[in-house]
Amino acid sequence: MPAPTANYLAILKTLHQHKVKFIIVGGVCAVLHGAPLATFDLDVVHSREPDNVTRLSAALEELDAHYRIPGRREMKPSPSHLASEGHQLLMTRFGPLDLLGTVGKGRDYNQLLQETVEIEIGPALKVQVSTLESLIKTKEETGQEKDRAALPVLRRLLEEKSKS
Amino acid sequence: MARHKLPNGDREEESSPGNEPTYSEDGVDLTLIRWMLSLTPAERLQVLQQSVESLLSLRDASANR
Repeated sequence: MPAPTANYLAILKTLHQHKVKFIIVGGVCAVLHGAPLATFDLDVVHSREPDNVTRLSAALEELDAHYRIPGRREMKPSPSHLASEGHQLLMTRFGPLDLLGTVGKGRDYNQLLQETVEIEIGPALKVQVSTLESLIKTKEETGQEKDRAALPVLRRLLEEKSKS
Repeated sequence: MARHKLPNGDREEESSPGNEPTYSEDGVDLTLIRWMLSLTPAERLQVLQQSVESLLSLRDASANR
C-alpha cells in the first residue's frame, strides 16, 4: 500500500472538529511563522487531561492512526500512551503525525500554552502555535543535531520579523 | 550593486536590488524568509504542502526509472 501524501490541513481540521486541545510545534510551526523549511510530519503537543485524551482518541480513530511500524497497522495508541509524557510517532490516512506528551526539558501542554499565539489557517480554523521564541528555546533545549540545524534559519527569521 | 564578503571568505554574495542583503552572515537565504513573510499563514502551509508533494513526486519518478 502506498504511503499517504501528507495533508497537514486535513489532520488539523480533524483534531479541531473533535475539539482536541493541542499546540503545533516543530517544522509546521516554523513554516506557519514564515520559515522556508520542509518537513514531512506534523508535531503537536496535546493536553494530557483525561477529557482531552478521550477526544484525541476519537480523532485518531477517524484518522486511522497507527504507529509507524511497517506491517503493523493494528498497533494503535491507547489512552494510557496518550496520557504519558512520551512521543507517539503515528501514521494517519493524511500522513505522519507525532503526538508529543512533552518537549524540550519536559515542558507539557499547560506550560507551553503560555508561549503560544493563535493563527488562522483556514475558514473558521484557528490553531494554537508555539511562538517563534518558544520554538527556538525548545530546539535549543533538545540539543539534537537535526534541531540545531534549523536554528540559524529560525534566528534569522526572528530578526527579519522584528524589522517589520 | 553592493557585495558582501561572507565570514568563511570563500563566497561573495550580492545584495538584492533593494540593497537588502540576500544572505545572513551564517549563510541563511534571507530572500526566502522575506518571501515567506509576505504570505499569510494559510498560504505558507500551502507552500509546505506543495513542496512535500513535489519532493515525493520526484522521489517516485526517480524510483520508477
